[in-house]
Amino acid sequence: MPVAAAASVRSPGITYLMCAAAWLVPGAGHLLLGRQRKGLIFLITLPLMFACGLWLEGRLFPFELSQPLVALAAFADIGIGIPYFVAKAMNQGAGRAIAATFEYGNAFLIVAGLLNMLVVLDAFDVAQGRK
Amino acid sequence: MTSHLASMVVFALFVSIVFATLMRDEPREQLRFGVQLFAGLVGGGILAGWLQYPLPF
Repeated sequence: MPVAAAASVRSPGITYLMCAAAWLVPGAGHLLLGRQRKGLIFLITLPLMFACGLWLEGRLFPFELSQPLVALAAFADIGIGIPYFVAKAMNQGAGRAIAATFEYGNAFLIVAGLLNMLVVLDAFDVAQGRK
Repeated sequence: MTSHLASMVVFALFVSIVFATLMRDEPREQLRFGVQLFAGLVGGGILAGWLQYPLPF
């Protein structure tokens, strides 16, 4: 019952909490809104894409404001939520620039984060009753 | 997955799945849109590669 579930989320505070959950756990926003199928697809696909990026020896970029492009890549990386912090805690994502797959790994990591940001925005729209 | 083509195909697969799920609500429409998007991404990538083939750099 997606419509009924979305209609029940009215308070802005709850909506923003739901968005925070959707950012931290990919797909959690849709799961909380009753859209189980979409939520499960995001929950599986996005962390898997992020894991592929790590496997391809991509780099989790640091927040270096002196290098704007690096800072933007770091912002995109963190868009995936908890998997980013887990990878950092496990000392993953150092990146190996001489690896043939280094740039592919970066693309997987960055795009996984950006796609999760889109998923959060979609969950926000659903919560607002726009979809 | 260390070949360029395989990496591109897997990347296109992930992007197609997420966009199809985001932009369509019905499973049949999602499948159709996802297949079109996947074919477009992979075909476009191969085409762009071939167009660059004559370039000297």
